[in-house]
Amino acid sequence: MIRNNARAALLVAVFALGGCAHYPVNDPLSQPVATSEYRFNDQPSGANTNELFVCLTFSGGGTRAAALSYGVLQKLRDTPITWKGSQKRLLDEIDCISSVSGGSFTAAYYGLFGERVFADFRRDFLETDVQGALLGRALAPTNWVRLASPTFSRIDLAAEYYGDALFEHKTFQALGAGGKRPFVIINATNMANGERFEFTQSDFTVLGSDLSSYPVARAVAASSAFPFLLSPLSLRNYPAPETTKLTRDIHNGLDDFYTDRRRYQWAFNRAGYVDVAKRPYVHLMDGGLADNIGLRPIEAAYRRSSGFIRKLINDGSIEKLLIIVVNARTEGTDTISGSESPPGLLTVASKTATVALDNYSFETIQLFKDLRDERARAQRDIAACQEKLNACPGAPRLPRLANDIDSYFVDIDFYALKDPARRDYFLNLPTSFKLSADEVAKLIDVGGDLLAADPEFRRFLDTIAKP
Amino acid sequence: MEFLLVHFERSRRVKVDDEFNGRTEVVIELEAGTHVVSLGPPDNFKPSEQTVVLKNTSPLQPREITFDPK
Repeated sequence: MIRNNARAALLVAVFALGGCAHYPVNDPLSQPVATSEYRFNDQPSGANTNELFVCLTFSGGGTRAAALSYGVLQKLRDTPITWKGSQKRLLDEIDCISSVSGGSFTAAYYGLFGERVFADFRRDFLETDVQGALLGRALAPTNWVRLASPTFSRIDLAAEYYGDALFEHKTFQALGAGGKRPFVIINATNMANGERFEFTQSDFTVLGSDLSSYPVARAVAASSAFPFLLSPLSLRNYPAPETTKLTRDIHNGLDDFYTDRRRYQWAFNRAGYVDVAKRPYVHLMDGGLADNIGLRPIEAAYRRSSGFIRKLINDGSIEKLLIIVVNARTEGTDTISGSESPPGLLTVASKTATVALDNYSFETIQLFKDLRDERARAQRDIAACQEKLNACPGAPRLPRLANDIDSYFVDIDFYALKDPARRDYFLNLPTSFKLSADEVAKLIDVGGDLLAADPEFRRFLDTIAKP
Repeated sequence: MEFLLVHFERSRRVKVDDEFNGRTEVVIELEAGTHVVSLGPPDNFKPSEQTVVLKNTSPLQPREITFDPK
């Protein structure tokens, strides 16, 4: 009897403690603001230069995307260049990486550990049955109790696993230590408005929160919180002075409803977080829901007045710009259109969550290419007009841009493969966190092959002196 | 993009919406809309800042504003 009572008491205690389980909460902004803020640093370090500015984007797509982007990194490591008289690898010139979902694992690991990615990442992540490991943690009885808590869910278990197995519980302070490059932008999606959410200090400042103490594993978990399979990840929105949360850029953007709707909407979404009583939390899901190729942050950094690429362009720092989009998209077999009767509830739920993922990826790519072409046209127009004016004695000099920029845009995509059998093989790989070692090896190889074969990349290399 | 040209008697860094963004006498490329423009230190110019709404400019016909010595 006494033993039974003791067991019951123990069980109650375990559930009571488990019921108290809580996800790690993001910290409020410290005053004064930490000097280790996670922002792009204008001053490159080591062998990197601003003059050759290289940004990569890693798409979603589970281990398939992580392995493809790893293959591209490896190829960049194996591409020697001579720039400004220095011999180096193209890898050493990467300035930023923007990533989504599966691609965020490769981006964050490279950002944290640099060269170690080529020694450990394949074994510790790409060739690991991550799905099995996550399931194992979810089935562990001690975790059932924790999962019973309303403030601890599957995504928090996943983040713990990523911290234990991969990211060594490092924080964004380590990711940005010393303002090192590449500047890694891990992207999630805000469930309230569908807007992209960046794990950068800029987006955390709007929440009155300090990113530097936040675990990188949790950002990667949010970025890859695939709908239904994983739960959303929550952040707290803290009160902070309006002057801190709303920069002048945001204030001015709120006046631009008729002038620039895009800027207005960006400002409007941020201004909503000033009222902490109304929006005390932010819930994040897979970054692919907002932008499955991770190009939007780079487009914003290029187009927006306060973007880090824009400011370098206006300062005349960038001479050559290389953007590489690594897109691991696939197109599953259409099993819906052959039947007259509409799909069932589960199919509808699954399609609702995933069908829009790549809907506008091509539009984003085209948008960036249009911006690049617009800049090239402006350079040509000024040069052509100045040349004509030069023939007129006493003619004034035309206004000049800070610098002419030579831009290249590389689009890595399985659809670029010419061999139909090889293309179909990759297009039919599943989106999961469990692939065979052979599948991973093929993905790594094809990443390098696609980069080497890309016509724009070859043109870029032709303009760079080889050692 | 929109285009802004800021004049001052000396070469000086330009501040747009409180952040350094380009220099005087060089065309600065910005997104459309409302911007508050000022100059970097020393504080020897007037007015202290100017608000511009950029729309329908071009690289050959940028919006031009001038700061005077104080």
